Amino acid sequence: MNFNFTEEQIQFKDVVKSLLADECTPSSIRDGWSAKKSFNQSRWNKISELGVLSSNLSEEDGGLGMDQVALSLMVEEMGYAGLPEPVAEQTFLVNDLMPLFTVGMKDEIKSIHESGNQYIALAHPLSPNPLFLDHAAALLLFDESTYQFILKEDLNFKPLASNDPSRELSAIDSIKKSISSSKNFETLNSAVTARGSLMTAALLIGLAQKMLDLSSAYVLDRNQFGKPIGSFQAIKHMLADIAVEIEFAKPTVYRAAHSLLDKNPKSNLHCSHAKYMSARAAELACKNSIQAHGAMGYTWEMDLHIYMRKAWSLMACWGNEDKQQDIIYKTLTASRDELGVLYTF
Amino acid sequence: MHLLKKEMQILKMKINFTKDQNIFRQEVRSWLVDNVPKKSLPSLDTKEGFEQHRQWEKTLNSGNWSMVTWPKEYGGRGLDLIQWLIFEEEYYRAEAPTRVNQNGVFLLGPTLMEFGTHEQKSKFLNAMATGDHIWSQGWSEPGAGSDMAAIRTTAVLEGDNYRINGQKTWSSRAAYADWTFGLFRTDLDSERHRGLSFILVPLDLPGVTVRPIPQLDGEPGFAEIYFDDVIVPVENLLGGDGEGWKIAMATAGFERGLMLRSPARFQQTAAKLLNLYIENEEHCSPMMQSKIVEAWAQSESYALSIYHTASKMLAGGSIGSESSLGKIFWSELDHMMHQTALKILGASAELSNSSEHDAAQWIKGFMFSYGGPIYAGTNEIQKNIIAERLLGLPK
Repeated sequence: MNFNFTEEQIQFKDVVKSLLADECTPSSIRDGWSAKKSFNQSRWNKISELGVLSSNLSEEDGGLGMDQVALSLMVEEMGYAGLPEPVAEQTFLVNDLMPLFTVGMKDEIKSIHESGNQYIALAHPLSPNPLFLDHAAALLLFDESTYQFILKEDLNFKPLASNDPSRELSAIDSIKKSISSSKNFETLNSAVTARGSLMTAALLIGLAQKMLDLSSAYVLDRNQFGKPIGSFQAIKHMLADIAVEIEFAKPTVYRAAHSLLDKNPKSNLHCSHAKYMSARAAELACKNSIQAHGAMGYTWEMDLHIYMRKAWSLMACWGNEDKQQDIIYKTLTASRDELGVLYTF
Repeated sequence: MHLLKKEMQILKMKINFTKDQNIFRQEVRSWLVDNVPKKSLPSLDTKEGFEQHRQWEKTLNSGNWSMVTWPKEYGGRGLDLIQWLIFEEEYYRAEAPTRVNQNGVFLLGPTLMEFGTHEQKSKFLNAMATGDHIWSQGWSEPGAGSDMAAIRTTAVLEGDNYRINGQKTWSSRAAYADWTFGLFRTDLDSERHRGLSFILVPLDLPGVTVRPIPQLDGEPGFAEIYFDDVIVPVENLLGGDGEGWKIAMATAGFERGLMLRSPARFQQTAAKLLNLYIENEEHCSPMMQSKIVEAWAQSESYALSIYHTASKMLAGGSIGSESSLGKIFWSELDHMMHQTALKILGASAELSNSSEHDAAQWIKGFMFSYGGPIYAGTNEIQKNIIAERLLGLPK
């Protein structure tokens, strides 16, 4: 039993953190908003050079063979920075599933990776509007019983506005040509659903932490009644409540990541648990952070909403709290005897 | 060239029990099966129940199970925190009696281990392990609750003794306990947290008067202690004269942190709550399902967090103000679960003698759960600690 990270995992996380601190600032995100081009190719390339995009591909596929635990730590940092580019989506939802795709699709994906443009978008009933199709080489599309691989030139799509301007979404109009399969569908669909929950959970942890840090800094800075408002208990307690929620959501994310790695039969439950806890933490972080900022928190000018908007979107897609609750409830009642003190690990 | 690649040296996180840990679990389990009383003991806050619980401490000690993390020379097994968590899981699973000496084994014990002299450790730890000394806590005073630095009970050094005068209150287990530990003002000119000392006091000394206070459930779980010229030898001072505050903070850390409330307790409640709901599903609205999920999700998270913390501590880390996060989390969780249970019970939720669906047990637990957010430092005080020490907000 060692529920702890390796030094290497922490190092990777720190490398990603410092790159994003330089490359993904609030003003660079706002630049993307004004230009309606939130996908910053140069930032994407820098992340790619670091090896993050292919980190969890096997070494024979040109990756680092890194596991989901290390990846979830890095994804947390992407959440913290409010990274617009779909790096988490690419690593968790496409690369991590490579071994499960049909040989034909795998070859297609590999040839795209080798051609230099590494981005393949994904659409699924739980997150039906793919991100940044303009920048994608292809789309993986899941419906209720099949999955398809579609080259971008074979797609007709139109833009959809998201409440988070750094999520450029599309609606699919028509498909000219695709490789379609239903082979392994149940396995693949359950794997992508679990990863969607885990990925959004890790991003939400980072976002919640960012909102808490912004709020802590703001309440130190803002004076009323002759002192920083952060010295008032009403403010302190709101922020402490966020810290508590984050603290107890985090280990659920790391456990879920470990369960995927370990092929734990309960990994779907664990991923749902992670999303459930993280969404609640992020929801409280939004509510209490805006309150701690007062009217400033309600403005476009303050950076808080950059992260809040992303959190709202990520809470909603890949299974919101209500859906995760339903999954958890059904799993618990179906395995009542395996509940309680002896079944955590 | 990928920058990350050259540093690739992954030693994987492993969150499964080892073979040895599973063997240990079996050993605990089979001992508990043979030794846990078949019929649950009377409440430990009654005279009869207290003595039966003391007897249970002796039984535990006869199997060398009083405190598995203590060194062998003090009656422990020298095991690590993960093994302690395994022990606790089996303990709650077996529904073994509440630890009447938890003030001793979980709070004073670790404090003695850190600050005690060799003589103090031999004397007190062994007697604690055998159940011969059952401990109560002596922190609060009528004028010093959340503001513990306002302590006024004095201990004046006279030769080789301290002369103690004043009053402690809300002293858990003091109604029947043998000893109390707490903070006393040894420098009469001092203010606030300076000039306080950590002293161990036998409750059978002349000048000590214990007045039990009935709690919500009618039983005397805590008491007032009056000290009227009580003479205590200087050997009972723990740490240095005037260092009491620092030592007390360490004890409070143990209480809020890992030791006092192991996750097994809450996971067991969550599992029982699910079963209670399923038995009563036809009388409830589906709304209750969300509470059942919340109970499972939070108790599971608490367990994961504690294993995460224990793993970090085994790797050389330490626990500080983070323990305040846990104290808030488990105390609110415990209350939420009991509140939910009472809603599921419907009108039977007032039948304090009913054995149906263990209604009486849930009601007792419900009342007790109101204490969680208050004892060991109220949750409001914990939030101040989090804001000031973890988030860096001003006092």
